[in-house]
Amino acid sequence: MRTFFGLALLALLALGGVAARLRPRPADPRTVPLVWASDDNPARRDQIDLYNRRHPGQTLSLDPNNTGLEKVVVQSIAGVGPDCFDAGEGSLSVLIAAGIVEDITDDLARRGIVIERDTWPAVQSIVLRDGRAYGVPTNAAADAIFINKAMFREAGEPFPKTPWNWNELVSLAKRLTVRGPDGKAKRFGLLVDWNSWPGFVIQWGGEVFTPDGTRCVVDSPEAIAGVQFLHDLIYVHRVMPSPVEEAAIAASGGWGSGVITQFGGGRKAAMAFGGRWWLCTLRDRTQFPGLELTAVEAPTHAGRVFHGYGKGTFVNARSPRKEAALDLLAYMMGTEYGQLINDQADGLAPTRAVCYAPGYDRNPKFPEEDYNAVWRATLERSVPNKMSPYVNSQAANRILTRQMDLVKNDQKPVAQALRDAAREVNAEIAATLERNPALKAKWLAVRRAADAKAGAR
Amino acid sequence: MSRRGRRGLADALPFLLPNLLGFLLFTAGPVLFSLGAAFTNANLMRSVPLQFTGLENFRMLFSDREFHLYFLNTLYFLIGMPVAIAGSLALAVLLSREIRGVVVYRTLFYLPSFTSGVALMILWKQLYNPDFGPINAAIHWVSATLRLGMDAPDWLLSTRNLLGIEVEKVALSARQYGLGARDAIVIMGVWTAVGGNNLLLYLAALMNVPTELQEAAALDGAKPGQVFRHVTWPQLAPTTFFIVVMSTIGGLQGGFEQARVMTAGGPSGTTTTLSYYIYTKAFEEFRIGYASAVAWVLFAVIFALTLVNWKFGNREVAE
Repeated sequence: MRTFFGLALLALLALGGVAARLRPRPADPRTVPLVWASDDNPARRDQIDLYNRRHPGQTLSLDPNNTGLEKVVVQSIAGVGPDCFDAGEGSLSVLIAAGIVEDITDDLARRGIVIERDTWPAVQSIVLRDGRAYGVPTNAAADAIFINKAMFREAGEPFPKTPWNWNELVSLAKRLTVRGPDGKAKRFGLLVDWNSWPGFVIQWGGEVFTPDGTRCVVDSPEAIAGVQFLHDLIYVHRVMPSPVEEAAIAASGGWGSGVITQFGGGRKAAMAFGGRWWLCTLRDRTQFPGLELTAVEAPTHAGRVFHGYGKGTFVNARSPRKEAALDLLAYMMGTEYGQLINDQADGLAPTRAVCYAPGYDRNPKFPEEDYNAVWRATLERSVPNKMSPYVNSQAANRILTRQMDLVKNDQKPVAQALRDAAREVNAEIAATLERNPALKAKWLAVRRAADAKAGAR
Repeated sequence: MSRRGRRGLADALPFLLPNLLGFLLFTAGPVLFSLGAAFTNANLMRSVPLQFTGLENFRMLFSDREFHLYFLNTLYFLIGMPVAIAGSLALAVLLSREIRGVVVYRTLFYLPSFTSGVALMILWKQLYNPDFGPINAAIHWVSATLRLGMDAPDWLLSTRNLLGIEVEKVALSARQYGLGARDAIVIMGVWTAVGGNNLLLYLAALMNVPTELQEAAALDGAKPGQVFRHVTWPQLAPTTFFIVVMSTIGGLQGGFEQARVMTAGGPSGTTTTLSYYIYTKAFEEFRIGYASAVAWVLFAVIFALTLVNWKFGNREVAE
């Protein structure tokens, strides 16, 4: 027994020694340490390396473990939050209410940055509130149709000509869907991440919230028709996998797993509705050998309008290194970072001008990607899915997800699910206003102004 | 206190202090804070001024449909408890016999208890895959071999359940009858619990059953089943009582990791338990006051059930 414990102690000491050698080097004490809470996208490391090269007085490091809104808010309130952090659509109202972001419009202006002028309109609502900037867009994206060239060749189908509509896509997807004698699909015509449903609402002319955010209108006829179409792609047209079929073709995990790896690795779909940022994963030739891709503009319905989205990066109002954090935001609005984003295909650069610079359309590092103009053209026609500032976005999303789960699993009619969702979200808005008198006063003022405007008309 | 007692206390305090301070700071403090917060509108949003709201959170809670649904989910997850306890007992009886390699068997059965919970959940997620998971593969094979024409469940993707509980209201419906995400979590829980701490407790208890009592009964002509029922089982009563109490408490507090790792509380909230609901209310919606109220109601339910267990279980043990 004594020998066993002795050996165990020696083994632990040896492991401790290995760990000490492997541990990351601490930041240079002569530099300002800066922590950025963001996802563990492989592209992030190069973005950080470039920043550190350009700012020798600072050491930026990534914190990929504390990226959720709940972690950022709780840690920042406790005074141990990151200096900068990323957040998505609908997060801004929570961040403002929690007091962990502040108006940095003037700080940005001093650095020559004007969000409305410099960035894509589709992502401005992520960082702007009442015309004031609280952060900068990290990147921008809009979904188009990825095409697996080999599958089109096998099927003898030409690439679709754009602009086109969703009915044309359904016909094409039906021709590309291959089923075995047992009726099981060997290959689907199309893959769509169900979380993209707001894009269908927008394309069908609907909205999730009214433009002033005071009410949820996801039960409008247009919104219902958009989600109904998405549902029908699975259960009527049968060109897209149901949740069960989707689980069956699910590939291994990793960053960007899910629909992306199903499309790239499973070879189970000829087309997929996704953004340029998918290429961060799909470019990996070891994971997806021989994958030949192109992309065309997404089909249209009510108009040639698409859903634009992205992320924003914010400065923690309680950070003791605010100036250095603002440097990071200024870097993100710069040309070098924008070109890096475009090179890495981490969506599109948040600054529009970079996407019109020479070298964007045909990047010599990726000559096979001759479809970069598609993403830019789509983003030009994109609008954001504006969330309501009068309800916690996570509470609203939970309600919407619960109903969407039922629709996706074909357990509830779309119209009924969306009516229930709208009713519950509006009840949540009402409850939020009851709990927050200041917010209620603002909501009433906005409603009164809207009513007066409607009366004047 | 005598001088000797005071000196003893002075000697003991430095040893007790680190633990006591940790307890006061990280357990007692937050517990008292949450008790106070339950009677306020405490919110992490700075724009909501802190106010004493009395019993308002509790009043809201009883009309909160989500609370009712998730409370029902929490209770549903307890249905595996008797099976798990019976399984632990059966396994302990087998492993208490003097068979070759028994230590290896004991280690193997205890394996799930010292394996990372997240790793186990990811493994079970694959097992439950409706199309290529081995569980459904086995069901398909049995169904085809015996020509049963049986459909395999969609497990984690399905809202169906063995009791036919509706998705959006506290009601039963034949439409919802079947096997789904709730049952998948229950089955996984039973698998984990059978070879877990309960097994160790039963093994220890079985070792302490006086063999002379069992031998005397056998000499009097009792069959093995009768020896177990009339001699061994009564001797195990205190252990069973302890296991039931602890399993009830653990069951009512559980479900968080499964919801977080396997299902995100879905589909449609069917695997959201009260502990996960408390988390979403406190740290996603930042309503600390309301989340505290839910936590204290959960505490009251656990306390009441433990009292009931104590009152009736203890009597059985005494008899």
